[in-house]
Amino acid sequence: MSFGKFIERLAQLIPVLFGISLIVFVMTLLTPGDPVEIMLGDQHVTEELEQALRRDMGLDLPPHERFFKFLGNALQGDFGLSFYHRQPVVDVIASRLPATIELSLVALLFALTVAIPLGVLAAVKKNSLLDRIATVTSLFGVSLPGFWFGILLILFFSVKLRWLPVSGNAGFSSEVEPITHLLLIDSLLRGRLDAFWDALRHIILPAITLGLPIASILMRVTRASMLDVLDRDYITFAEAKGLSKSKILVKHALKNALIPTVTVAALQTGALLGGNMVVETVFGWPGLGRLVVESIFVRNYPLIQAAVLLYAVTYVVLNFVADILYTVLNPKVRL
Amino acid sequence: MKFTRTLVAVGMAAALTTPAALNAAELRVGFSADALTLDPANHRNRETETVIRNMFDGIVTRDADMNVVPQLAESWTAVDSTTYEFKLRAGVTFHDGSPLMAADIKFSIDRLTKENAMGGQTSPRQSLLGPVTDVEVVDDLTFRIKLESPWPILPAMLPFQEMVSKAHVESVGDAAVADNVNGTGPFKLVEWRKGQSVIMERYDGYYGGSTDIAPADKACVDRVIFQVIPENASRVAALLAGEVHIIDKLPSHNVAQVEANPDTKVMAVNGTRTSYIALNNQSGPFADIRVRHALAHALDRQLVVDKILNGNASLTNGILSPDAFGKNENLPAYEYDVEKAKALLAEAGFPDGLDVTLDVDGANKEIAEAIAAVMAKAGFRIGVVVGEVSTLRTRFRTKGEPIDGQMWLTSWGNGSLDPVGIFVPTHRTNDRGNSSGYANAEVDALLDAANAETDRSKRAQMYAEAEAIVNRDLPKVYLWVAQDLYGVSTKVSGWRPSSDSRINLHDACVN
Repeated sequence: MSFGKFIERLAQLIPVLFGISLIVFVMTLLTPGDPVEIMLGDQHVTEELEQALRRDMGLDLPPHERFFKFLGNALQGDFGLSFYHRQPVVDVIASRLPATIELSLVALLFALTVAIPLGVLAAVKKNSLLDRIATVTSLFGVSLPGFWFGILLILFFSVKLRWLPVSGNAGFSSEVEPITHLLLIDSLLRGRLDAFWDALRHIILPAITLGLPIASILMRVTRASMLDVLDRDYITFAEAKGLSKSKILVKHALKNALIPTVTVAALQTGALLGGNMVVETVFGWPGLGRLVVESIFVRNYPLIQAAVLLYAVTYVVLNFVADILYTVLNPKVRL
Repeated sequence: MKFTRTLVAVGMAAALTTPAALNAAELRVGFSADALTLDPANHRNRETETVIRNMFDGIVTRDADMNVVPQLAESWTAVDSTTYEFKLRAGVTFHDGSPLMAADIKFSIDRLTKENAMGGQTSPRQSLLGPVTDVEVVDDLTFRIKLESPWPILPAMLPFQEMVSKAHVESVGDAAVADNVNGTGPFKLVEWRKGQSVIMERYDGYYGGSTDIAPADKACVDRVIFQVIPENASRVAALLAGEVHIIDKLPSHNVAQVEANPDTKVMAVNGTRTSYIALNNQSGPFADIRVRHALAHALDRQLVVDKILNGNASLTNGILSPDAFGKNENLPAYEYDVEKAKALLAEAGFPDGLDVTLDVDGANKEIAEAIAAVMAKAGFRIGVVVGEVSTLRTRFRTKGEPIDGQMWLTSWGNGSLDPVGIFVPTHRTNDRGNSSGYANAEVDALLDAANAETDRSKRAQMYAEAEAIVNRDLPKVYLWVAQDLYGVSTKVSGWRPSSDSRINLHDACVN
């Protein structure tokens, strides 16, 4: 892809982000619920003090002024103060984002490691018992609600067997000086195997819960595209040449079969962010998803705005990555 | 097969490296929410206060029975109706070792009450000290709080405010106070892992805390960790797995499970929230007092408490909790009487019963459905509609605008347990918590007078009188004060829950 094309794709972000900002803003206006009322809780408050708080939160201005003020500030990277944390929204989000990224990556890694071998095996041994079990299990994987499955895992592995911790992403003693802010990586970089092991133990259950639906989808995609590829003439030709079965599978079939898998995986990574909200709540994971849900309940507008924008950017970027991967894997396609 | 073997191997390896037992001197609390900030002046949030209170002390505090007792102050006197003089204890130090002075108190209270006093922001807690105009430093250990008008509840409201070090705040800057703690409390901050945990360790220079709460000494445990576990089921699981020692907000349906586990027990305390059904007094069937009375007689409250809340609530016939100041103990109950309810309904023009809608938020759905089922006998055909709580607030708490709805199962309460924060907002005409559109000039007059009355017994009398009127008018059907439930490890001693939902760990020990 040429540099010009790249810039063009980047420029497409601008209307998307403006549109998203407007939609989120209008939705916060249309949703009933008053952040000032919620914040004041069950206390006696005089009208003047209530107005003072409203002014402080910038909610006394008419809606259109609020929107343009938000836009103007956002262009300079200022998303305002979180109503509840009373700190810049950017700081609050930055403190929670790494945990979400780490969990998403590990969940994706889990999904890929489970899905690709299983999908290939299911395709090669089509209609065998293994194929059927894998297909039915994947149906469960997609259908099980995350909060339910997560709690089942906790009850079994944490309460009954006491193998893995219930919540959080690290124990007290495994503090590691941050480099990337991703615990697993930082602990390895710092040579802290104990901290790495601790972080790994914490991430297993949430990553499985989060990764399972995606693993199921990817397994099905891999299986279907593998079946498709295995029927192709060039595979028959390779067999006729007398190549070994494993060589045919890995070199000729899998490479081509993976194209749709990789595309779907890139797109599903966006969905991981959504699934995070539930999984982070169940496992007390200190990530962004939980923060956003909590912010919606208390109408923490500045934080909702900024977080939704971040999600939107991530989606657009992931789509972009999927497109690029597609051209890499399949040179016939040009952007 | 191979996969199973691997799984077992991984599991065994994990089991081997699990910390054998929790450190004996470490107490972990599985807490339902993270602190929003560690700056005591910059939040409006009960959970944040619960965490902060272990690192910061106040001028006064409350004991577990909710009595206001001195903490940083040694004593106080009302000089006149608008001036209180406080004497600070000698020898109190902040975590950095510097002594607590009256100037620190003035700085802390100014930061709470003055406009733009927190680096350009105004404290969201300002209204909690409404009439405070100024603090005058008399000498190093004496200060006076000045009020705009008589405000008898000053001592009851002071436990909500924690004191900071003037020098510390000025040196780190207001914004940095959010994660830099220098308090006078029993624990000092080790690390705040946002979204996950607040880790504290014992402050060895602690002066001992309130002399009215024994033992007045340093904290018992070396380290305290508030571990954030927002999901109820996970929090209970963490307690059962022995990962935490105390959990808050134990759901009542988990009580039996926690009791059955030999290592854990349930502890309960009267909460501060009065549950009630707010009725639309402005229009619709509940504008007729007979229909409101009929509704009250149609409900067997004790049955609902026993069956749904597992008995963990005490009935109340008015808005004030039985523990509140000024509670009228002699309010008549609307006895469960189906025939009487039917007769009243018929008299009001509904001989064939009445179709109504009961709004409720998701957390209380089960209770609302039980109420609807019980009331059906008396002819109230109630449809339960679940809504989101912030939306319901906007529909019912309209400050005089027309209410959008008929009945709302909700609650109100705060840790002050004082009628000013509970009775006034929920019943004064057009006040912010008045979800019934109730307007009675006589009640308004009594509440206003009581607000400024400095004679405690006269003040209590006024509230009792107002509560009697409200009990007759019945703008809401008053239900109960539910208990706050905690799951606690049997290893914990020296701790009990308190009504204001604080978890003060100063005296708690772990065996």
